[in-house]
Amino acid sequence: MANALTPAERASVRRDVVGVVVAVAAATAVSAVLEGVVSLTSQAMVYLFAVVAASYALDRVGAIASAVGAVTAFNFFFVPPRFTLEVEHRDNLIALAAMLAVALLVSTLSAALKRETAAARASDTRSRQLRELAAALLAAEGEHDVLRIGSGALAHAFAGPVHLVAAREGVVGDHTGIADDVARGLQCCVGEAAVLGPGTGRWPGLDAWYVPLGPRGNVVGAACVKPAVAADAVGREHAEAIAALVAQAIARLRLAAANLETRAALQRQHLQSTFLASVSHDLRTPLTAIVAAASSLQQQRSRLSAAEQERLLAAIVAEASHLSAVTENTLQLVRLAAGGEAMRLEWQSVEEIVGSVVARLRARPDGERIGVRIAPGLPLVRGDATLLGQLVANLLDNALKYSDGPVRLVACRLGKRLLVSVKDGGSGVREGEAERVFEPFYRGGGRTAATRGAGLGLALCKAIADVHGGSLAVGARPRGGSRFTLALPIEAQPEAALVA
Amino acid sequence: MTLSVLVVEDDRDIRDVLRASLAAEGFDVLTAVSLSEATALLDHARVDLVVLDLGLPDGDGAELVRRIRRSSALPVVIASARHQDVEKIELLDAGADDFLTKPFAVGELLARIRVALRHRGTAVQPAVTRYDSGGLVIDLDAHRVERNDEALHLTPTEFRLAACLVRADGRVVTHRQLLTDVWGAEHVDDVHYLRLYMAQLRAKLEDVPSEPRHLLTETGVGYRLATD
Repeated sequence: MANALTPAERASVRRDVVGVVVAVAAATAVSAVLEGVVSLTSQAMVYLFAVVAASYALDRVGAIASAVGAVTAFNFFFVPPRFTLEVEHRDNLIALAAMLAVALLVSTLSAALKRETAAARASDTRSRQLRELAAALLAAEGEHDVLRIGSGALAHAFAGPVHLVAAREGVVGDHTGIADDVARGLQCCVGEAAVLGPGTGRWPGLDAWYVPLGPRGNVVGAACVKPAVAADAVGREHAEAIAALVAQAIARLRLAAANLETRAALQRQHLQSTFLASVSHDLRTPLTAIVAAASSLQQQRSRLSAAEQERLLAAIVAEASHLSAVTENTLQLVRLAAGGEAMRLEWQSVEEIVGSVVARLRARPDGERIGVRIAPGLPLVRGDATLLGQLVANLLDNALKYSDGPVRLVACRLGKRLLVSVKDGGSGVREGEAERVFEPFYRGGGRTAATRGAGLGLALCKAIADVHGGSLAVGARPRGGSRFTLALPIEAQPEAALVA
Repeated sequence: MTLSVLVVEDDRDIRDVLRASLAAEGFDVLTAVSLSEATALLDHARVDLVVLDLGLPDGDGAELVRRIRRSSALPVVIASARHQDVEKIELLDAGADDFLTKPFAVGELLARIRVALRHRGTAVQPAVTRYDSGGLVIDLDAHRVERNDEALHLTPTEFRLAACLVRADGRVVTHRQLLTDVWGAEHVDDVHYLRLYMAQLRAKLEDVPSEPRHLLTETGVGYRLATD
């Protein structure tokens, strides 16, 4: 039969035998020493003490064995007739029965105490694990993180192989590296939204628990646990508690992501509608002027003086070129915002870009107001000539539009940056307005009634400065007017070892 | 003899306006709405200049430019929207004479046509070797440069660069063409050479280098010499 015992059971039997022998031998030795000094009853007490001690330390079989051993030894060595197993007095029979009863009682009590202690310790361990898991999950930044932390917690609690997967809409997500049958079990668990495996009544033949992450209707994944320890009902509940924490963490992350997405969508929608409103305003205003002037020429030409006709024609040309500028700004802004437009980055000369923009603006009636000062020997900058030209043109156009006096463009070098500033003497930018003028579609308070179309221009300027790694700032000038300053980074200059 | 201009443009309104404006300037105007129609007209009618719109329904304008260049020096002026910059440069490199960015004023178109027509039949005419405008004289034969009657000294590279622009006679010369002609084909991407040397040239040839009157920049495309 001994062959049928497990190593643990064999060790337990060995402990019992040794314990009983030691206890009985010790009690016999002490009783022998006390022989003649104390009464037979006191000697019986020594044996009783040994039984109590053995019953506390050993299991139930050991306890009974120690009681039988103690009574037998007491009877054999000390109860007359000595060195026989006969019992003379009824008293001794009672002592034997009492000892057996005490042994059983103590053994039962101590076993219960041990069980409860162990249970309390395990429960303490489990709640500590849950607390630690909850704290770790709070710091998780993504689902992958959550699954990793959850796997760690399950593996630590059950000392066996663990697989965790996330699921969406009832379908298990990425399960690379997980055996097919386990993956099927996980999918099944997500589908049924119930714990499967031994002791659950569902698929008890499985060799692992399959625990859904989250309650029915909101299952966000599943866990597979092969417990090497705590493979009981309490352990399974612990696995479910861990799964619930992991599920909460995943649900929290998903909710946050959904919130963010909703807010972004709202923002996009808002931007889109302001964009459309602004563009349609910016396009419609010059179009209205063109249609009015052209139809007037078409229908009333005979009644218009030559000078009036000339004025209307000039208005059509001016409004059309304004329309063209607005269209160009809008298109570039949309392209830059979409990020799809590949910039043509080349070495550019700011002097050259400014020169060709100014040459174009000089053709306008108000173009003579522009003054240009460019520091000699400016370094080249890396950039897209068309975009940078558009930036400079918008700044100058803006300054001409919002002021009547001279407009000055100055380009110079300051440390590792190349500065281009455009100054005007207009109404200036109000306190608190400085940052907002670069928002798409923003129109300055002092500029609403008579002026138009700047909304997109400055937003585009800012976007162009940004894609060049530069900055665009606006400030008020001490004696009125505003100053827009573009700062572009100066990179290491290209090698120019050339033949003269 | 009246000069004949072929306008290749698929938008009817633009086509009609161009037809009317060019006719008012005394040109015979032919129109085509597609590359195939343009090709057919070029084969069967006398054409002295082509105004070519990009983004035609049946294909690539570059094909037409190459076809024309295989057999003649017929001037071609490209009309394109800004976002067609890259295509525009390709066409200029393929042999187109000049370009206009849409929207353009009729005056600009006529100026480009005038410049381009000066080169009609360049193959048999002597090349242009002299620029004389607004006090600036660049004489390639005499290897002499004067500003306001004062002789100027140009370095050999500066002179080669100026000479390329003089020979183009007011037409735009792309970065690629200038780099290839002055520095050689291996420097075709070294746009910074141009930036630096154009700045040097302007410092010598222009009264106000930051607002050049002679050496004009075509942003993102190349350079040209201003013509009166």
